[in-house]
Amino acid sequence: MKILQYSLTLLIVLSLNFILPRMMPGDPLSYLDNSDPSVDSPMLLTEEMRQKLLAYYGLDKPLGEQYFDYLTGLLRGDLGWSIYYNAPVAQVLWGRLKWTLLLMGTATVIYLTLGIVLGAFSAWQRGSRLDLGLLFSTFAIGSWPPFFLAMILVILFGIRYPLFPIGGARDPLLAGATGLERAKDIAYHMVLPVLALVLSHLPGIYLLMRNSMLGVLGEEYIRTAYGKGAGDREVLFRHALPNALLPMLTMVAMRLGFLIMGTMFVEVVFAYPGMGTLIREACLARDYPMLQGTFLITMLFVIACNLGADLLYTRLDPRIKIA
Amino acid sequence: MKTLFSLVFQQKMTLVGLAMLGIFIGGALLAPWIAPHPPEQLYEPLRPPSSQHPLGTDDVGHDLLSELIYGARASLSISLVAALASTLIGLWLGTIAGYSEGQPGNYVGFMIMRVVDILMVIPRFPLIVLMSAFLQPGAGTLILFFTLFGWPRAARLARAQILSERTKDYVQAARLIGASDRRILIRHLMPSVLPIALTRFVIEFQHVILAESGLSFLGLGNPMVKSWGMMLSYAFRYPTIFITNLWVRWIVPPGMCITLVVLALTFLSFSLEIWANPRLKTWSARGITLTTHKPRIEREQATGFAPRTKPFRPLPRT
Repeated sequence: MKILQYSLTLLIVLSLNFILPRMMPGDPLSYLDNSDPSVDSPMLLTEEMRQKLLAYYGLDKPLGEQYFDYLTGLLRGDLGWSIYYNAPVAQVLWGRLKWTLLLMGTATVIYLTLGIVLGAFSAWQRGSRLDLGLLFSTFAIGSWPPFFLAMILVILFGIRYPLFPIGGARDPLLAGATGLERAKDIAYHMVLPVLALVLSHLPGIYLLMRNSMLGVLGEEYIRTAYGKGAGDREVLFRHALPNALLPMLTMVAMRLGFLIMGTMFVEVVFAYPGMGTLIREACLARDYPMLQGTFLITMLFVIACNLGADLLYTRLDPRIKIA
Repeated sequence: MKTLFSLVFQQKMTLVGLAMLGIFIGGALLAPWIAPHPPEQLYEPLRPPSSQHPLGTDDVGHDLLSELIYGARASLSISLVAALASTLIGLWLGTIAGYSEGQPGNYVGFMIMRVVDILMVIPRFPLIVLMSAFLQPGAGTLILFFTLFGWPRAARLARAQILSERTKDYVQAARLIGASDRRILIRHLMPSVLPIALTRFVIEFQHVILAESGLSFLGLGNPMVKSWGMMLSYAFRYPTIFITNLWVRWIVPPGMCITLVVLALTFLSFSLEIWANPRLKTWSARGITLTTHKPRIEREQATGFAPRTKPFRPLPRT
């Protein structure tokens, strides 16, 4: 059932990706060359590129055949030809994806750890001044739109007090550096973007953890644990924490969409050479094949993570069976 | 004492949230009267603040304060309508799903819930980005996009509530008296969903205002609709925005407006959720709680567990 649901979702996503460019007013290519005088085209399309595009879309064939070609193309890893970069979409994507994954991965590790520790602590000390303080700071931080937060960080720590670089992933002067120096340079450039991401996602995870922990602390088995003479430490680490962590798994997977959205904004503000910047560039240049490629990769990633979380959850929690 | 404290605290938060939201909505409604200039009017570009232009002007000469006040209209109206539409549609479909489930031969609910399952997995923001890039939506189409992906959550919550409510004695009693399905739905089941729907509406509102501003920030909104996100987008594209002091009056005001609206909605959803979920009330007496973790509550509502009434033993502080 779960597998069926996910396959159906995947099929819908793929079909949407196929249909959208064909739903645009006029011919998908009329935006790109100057054949339609009413459209202000951002670039001139050479005849050679037009042929390439036509061959990719196969626009002269019937729709059913186009759809079939599109699906088989995807299976071969063919994501199309980027108009703006004049290179295969898959190749450009690959170069950008690693930066996004690096940024997202680092931020996720940090905000998950912090969020879980703070959330559990807050729930344990519920009602205390510390708990309230944490709760209110989360409210305050959590309300900032990620791009606004990122811009303020740039202004404060990049320009007012120039502690960190304001953009990019590496120093062009250190392009030839290897080993430790290269790693240091990359880490240095990552500080502000990661900080922005952590700040914008920490509140959500903290609240989820606090809430999950509060729920667990109200359960009968916690009372039982106290009743049999367990100490605070034992109750916290052996009974409360593992159970409170369980629902976090699904929640983290469900919040992935948010994370991607946040990463996109943060990358744009910091001109970080990842997928988010790529999406913005593709939007501005109307590079539709590129846009579709990035969309497809994002969707595949999210759906895979959701499926993984679902399957893992049924493993970890025997009370839930696959329906 | 602590109970009293949290009650006042909670109420204060509701009031603060409502007041903040009220100010912004009032500003949006009264824009033509309180804005010093019409938003389209052009003045000398990049003017520093003066009594004439309290926030100065932007690079083409729009008065920034007027733009900010009119921006509230665009930002708030889009999110308000989209959130309202998602909640109502979700409520409607969720109620139908919850009610038809268990009736032999009625697959409407089943179908609705499968659609919900699929839509819940698709991350909506990237999809809306793609759709906006292709179709270049106006305000109306944008609202349609947000509604299309916004209703499933409301539907899921509504269904769970209906499922738990319809097994209760008073509903059975109403049925025994001979009340029609329609009457039971409208008179008894719908009202019980209301608190959940209201909370959902506030959270959805929050989501859409963030998503809309983000979309505009990426340059995908309608350039004619100058929302706060669009202002930020223009500001961000201005070359020396970060280096000069321009950001203080061009980036901070719209950014702060979005932040404050989101904060007001957080306050509201927080207190609404305690009201909507009686189970949380016992907790709120011993501190403050905020539930964003719905599946568990949903599960319990669906299985019809009685809400916990016994207070639990206060933990010794370490």
